[in-house]
Amino acid sequence: MSEAVRAAARAVLPPAVFLILIVVGWQLAIVVWQLPPYLVPSPQDVWASAQEHAADLGWAIPLTGAAALTGFGLSLVCGTLLGLVFSQFKWVQRSIYPYAIFLQTVPIVAVAPLLILWFGYGFQGVVAVSFILSLFPIITAATSGLTQIDPNLVELFAVHNATRLQELLKLRLPNAVPYLVTGAKISCGLAVIGAIVGEIYAGFQGEHIGLGTLITRANAALDTSYVFAGVLGSTLLSIAIFATVSVLGTTILARWHGAAGRDSTTR
Amino acid sequence: MNRRTAIAGFLPGFLLLALALLLHGCGNNSSARPVATAQPAREPQQSPAPANAPADENLIPVTLQLNWFPEAEHGGYYAALAHGYYREAGLDVKILPGGPDSPVVQQVARGMVDFGVVNADNILFGRAQQAPIVAVMAPLQISPRCILVHESTGIRGLRDLKNVTLAVSSSNAFTQYLRHELKLDNVKIVPYSGNVTHFLLNKNYAQQAYVFSEPFVARKAGGDPRVLMLSEIGFNPYTSTLFTNDEKIRDKPELVEKMVKASIKGWEKYVNSPEKANEAIHAANPQMDLDILAYGARTLEPLVYDQTAEAEGLGTMSRARWQKLADQLIASKQMKADKADVRGAYTTKFLR
Repeated sequence: MSEAVRAAARAVLPPAVFLILIVVGWQLAIVVWQLPPYLVPSPQDVWASAQEHAADLGWAIPLTGAAALTGFGLSLVCGTLLGLVFSQFKWVQRSIYPYAIFLQTVPIVAVAPLLILWFGYGFQGVVAVSFILSLFPIITAATSGLTQIDPNLVELFAVHNATRLQELLKLRLPNAVPYLVTGAKISCGLAVIGAIVGEIYAGFQGEHIGLGTLITRANAALDTSYVFAGVLGSTLLSIAIFATVSVLGTTILARWHGAAGRDSTTR
Repeated sequence: MNRRTAIAGFLPGFLLLALALLLHGCGNNSSARPVATAQPAREPQQSPAPANAPADENLIPVTLQLNWFPEAEHGGYYAALAHGYYREAGLDVKILPGGPDSPVVQQVARGMVDFGVVNADNILFGRAQQAPIVAVMAPLQISPRCILVHESTGIRGLRDLKNVTLAVSSSNAFTQYLRHELKLDNVKIVPYSGNVTHFLLNKNYAQQAYVFSEPFVARKAGGDPRVLMLSEIGFNPYTSTLFTNDEKIRDKPELVEKMVKASIKGWEKYVNSPEKANEAIHAANPQMDLDILAYGARTLEPLVYDQTAEAEGLGTMSRARWQKLADQLIASKQMKADKADVRGAYTTKFLR
């Protein structure tokens, strides 16, 4: 038990100390250089602003989170499916993959207004931006994971007369899991950014607004402490999503990937 | 800080800033970019000095930061430049074009530029965050801000606004005020797209506009826009207001006075014969064609010379107007009452 407590302390203490150092340094900088609030808010101003606007932030975070998760989920499904097609049909990969790179370089602020024209205002428009921004890492991860296989293993499968489906399910898919987990970790952060950018263009219609609109609005009024509170909210959202993806990823790696490994030894 | 949404055009230049944009918000620049492409920030054309102007080396260099790309609403400042009024006053003024998210208030507050041009609400927001900025002259007494609706909707005033999709910049002070003040039955509020395309396509679409710009563009494209002025429901911040910081007013009052007087002269010239200034604006911002600028200057005249300005002179400001704006920002929950600083936000001492 005490060992577990010590382990938890080892995990939590260093980042906590670092956080305290940052907040103290931040506050010191404001006092020493007499930075006015229109340039940098003080930590306690940010905290006060977060508390004051707790109700708005309480709506904004789940609103943005829902759009980000939907965009991320679509990316996971579509990206993995595309990767599957690429791995099975080399000629498809050769002809389409270069265009998938377009997604990586697409200037999202340029196309966001167009996406809104095509998908409409509101939730679906926000999701579209989030999806476009978070898709590429999944495509790359799935394609790499499904195609970059130890040639010896491919030969082994061939020697045993494995069907294409068997090769896919028993060899390629397990091989792709770690890649996909890594891709998902990159993608989920981008999905949050996409949702926030999307809101700037597509959100803002109901009574409640998402983080993107909220930050834009606070920024316009030079309300830096509210801007920081909003950024803090989006950071917390990203961390929460990232942590969930990480834990799920580790679990899947341990169970499925591990089990797949055992399968091959017991056969 | 400015009036328009970054959404519209100028994208290529801003692509790399996607992330920065995100953290920074989109700014409350709003209103139309009828044509949407990148605008190189060019130096405004300096006109040759009139014969009676002092020699260059005696001029005091002064920078004036605009809140947007050069347009008709900056006309008077360009007129003062183009007609040599600044040089006559001993000033070598350099007008710096702005754009979406130009941090004009911060730059002037920090003394990075000498003067800036923003709207009155930006000044009050700045003062509320302890930015030491002061408005010294307000050329537009009546805000050019308006909402465009289709004539066919039968909507005759802002209070009748219902059953439409309303495109407004989320970050603009007037947007919050509209939401606070009007019932907006069955009005779907969406972000402003930066041009009149949606408006022309959809009969039940209403959008924010500047009275001297979008109505012209919409009509030219065959639309039937009806203009509903925000000032009609009492929301009327001074627009294109000249401002500087506390320090400059304390240490160089004669410089501020010269700047104010020459700018007023520029505005008087602009509403009467805007041609030369419009050429300078067009040179600084080729997106603005001379015909729309000419329309803009015509439309601006009644906004510059309302009854008050006729009686008290161009550029005048009153405590009552500033207080009313502060009250509106407080009532629509955009500013806290204890942070409002109306007294410090403006001075009329350079207008006399």
